[in-house]
Amino acid sequence: MELTYTPIEGKSRRYYTAVAVLAAVALAGLISFAISYLRGHQVFGSNNAIPWGLPIVIAIYLIGLSAGSLILSSLTYVFGQESYKPIARVAVFLAVVLIFGAMVAIAVDLGRPEKSWRLFMFFYLNNMTSMFALNGILYGGYFVISLTYLGAILANQLKWVKRIGILAVCWAVLVHMGTGAIFGFIATREIFYSPMKPFEFLAAAMVSGLALLIIAVVLTLRFSKRSMGQEVVFTLGRLLSALIVLLVILVVVDKLTHFYSPNRDATVFLLTGRYSWLFWAGQVGLAYIVPLIILFHPKARKTIKWIMIAAASVVIGIFFERLALVIPGLAYPLHYYPGHIEGVWGEVGSFPVLPTEVILSIGMFAFLGVLYFLGLKFMDVLPPSIEPEPAVDEAAPAQE
Amino acid sequence: MAQWGMVIDLDKCIGCQACSIACKSENNVPYGSPDEQKRRTDIFWHKVIAVSKGEYPTANIEIIPMPCMHCDSPPCVTVCPAKATYKREDGIVMQNLRRCIGCKYCLVACPYGARSFNYKEQEEEEYQRPDLPADLGLDNKADIGPWPFPHRTHGVVEKCTFCFHRIDQGIEEGKEIGVEVVPACVEACPSGARFFGDLSDPESAVSKLLASRDSFKLREDMSTKPKVSYLPR
Repeated sequence: MELTYTPIEGKSRRYYTAVAVLAAVALAGLISFAISYLRGHQVFGSNNAIPWGLPIVIAIYLIGLSAGSLILSSLTYVFGQESYKPIARVAVFLAVVLIFGAMVAIAVDLGRPEKSWRLFMFFYLNNMTSMFALNGILYGGYFVISLTYLGAILANQLKWVKRIGILAVCWAVLVHMGTGAIFGFIATREIFYSPMKPFEFLAAAMVSGLALLIIAVVLTLRFSKRSMGQEVVFTLGRLLSALIVLLVILVVVDKLTHFYSPNRDATVFLLTGRYSWLFWAGQVGLAYIVPLIILFHPKARKTIKWIMIAAASVVIGIFFERLALVIPGLAYPLHYYPGHIEGVWGEVGSFPVLPTEVILSIGMFAFLGVLYFLGLKFMDVLPPSIEPEPAVDEAAPAQE
Repeated sequence: MAQWGMVIDLDKCIGCQACSIACKSENNVPYGSPDEQKRRTDIFWHKVIAVSKGEYPTANIEIIPMPCMHCDSPPCVTVCPAKATYKREDGIVMQNLRRCIGCKYCLVACPYGARSFNYKEQEEEEYQRPDLPADLGLDNKADIGPWPFPHRTHGVVEKCTFCFHRIDQGIEEGKEIGVEVVPACVEACPSGARFFGDLSDPESAVSKLLASRDSFKLREDMSTKPKVSYLPR
């Protein structure tokens, strides 16, 4: 099957308005970054109790979206699943944009962003026992590989696409497991410390990447007035529900093991403490329960609208999953000495939401939006139409 | 090579916080505003925690002074991606402020909360310290910049150095470390609760003290092997 891809026209008023608004928000983010650079991180909510704030949350979130998106593109280019072919190019393009955004987010969170080149002096200036330094290799390599992958796809070099695709997918898996290892290997923070973290991150990456892909494809096609095949979206919806179930299993196992000594108090804090709403309402509610209800509902899973709602709920919910890891994980006080530590040293850390950090965070997303829209205009990533392919799922309505 | 270590006698400690003050004035650490203290964005190289146990009739408070533990297997050195934190040959865990990129991974990994991130550019007045020498001209100046800080930059992580500048200068001048030359917190302790010296030398005062009495270290379950020991009350 030959499928042609074309850029969108990008001359409509709506396109220009969207790009202009996003660019303005991105500019506000840039100004916020300048303020934080000149005045120091006091303009952020992070402090010595919770040293990592929104930029790190966004970084691991974007890495997850990127890795998930790229892994799904492999269904077409590596495993030859033709039914996903219409969205494969968008998936790779999104992956490139998102990993770039993740690296920007990490650089923004550094106290001295002008020294971020030090993260890429592999083996020479880097301490390779650090998960962060290893992830420098993974992220840098991933960016280069996914760019090459996109280039090969756009040049239609199908033999190379498959080869680079295999490498890119393996690398994407490593990237997100490495990100999980940044947290999972820290014995000091009981909520982080778990060998499950790399796998949990990987599952969350696939879930959020797939959900974002569904949203991006449906919205882009609708706004550019292209016809679309509903069956592809329904298939993706079923895949999404399976991946969420996998993620729920991993999270439950992780929390269950933590319910036993010595991490019990920290886990009880996560589930009932000051930040428990992040976990219950955000992570469990938005990322697991709402989409699972929709995707297993016999009628709702057959409509584009409800699948879109489920996907949006997942994308927001996985962001809360990152928040519910970073903020409570760091806020739980360290027990230097047995007993109750009085005063500020034994308190649960607080994380004030400050305007500079919020504008910076929104600005980063807007910047990625600008890149995405420009890419649609100048690259052939979208199919002219998605053909409905009834051959894929004849047994669809029967089970589940 | 000497392995510098500290022994804190909790029986003698009166909880006066002179050690924290001495540390701040010796190393030019900013004192921080009440607002910063509430938000935990102020810098502490040395802190004193109060730990309460039990209910009213049997209530008890213990005062634990906490410098950096200068662990033998420090988790902060393991996680630092930029080689900015390293262990010197004499066991002091140092922070190279010129290499530090400010990723704060070490703050996340340190089980003792010994590290502080520098959240703001310091104001000039706070740093008018004519009593401090401009620059000691130490060998490892390239690592850490002019010392003691005449000027601080925001965005890097700082920590206790066991007053390495005193030790290095004392060794150059041929003084006896642990007797004539001690870190500022040891020098300032009014009740003589702190002792500093070479843990690898069995004849040093700290080694004899540790051999003579029961002692413990903080969070030994983390297997960080701290070089700061406490003598219980």
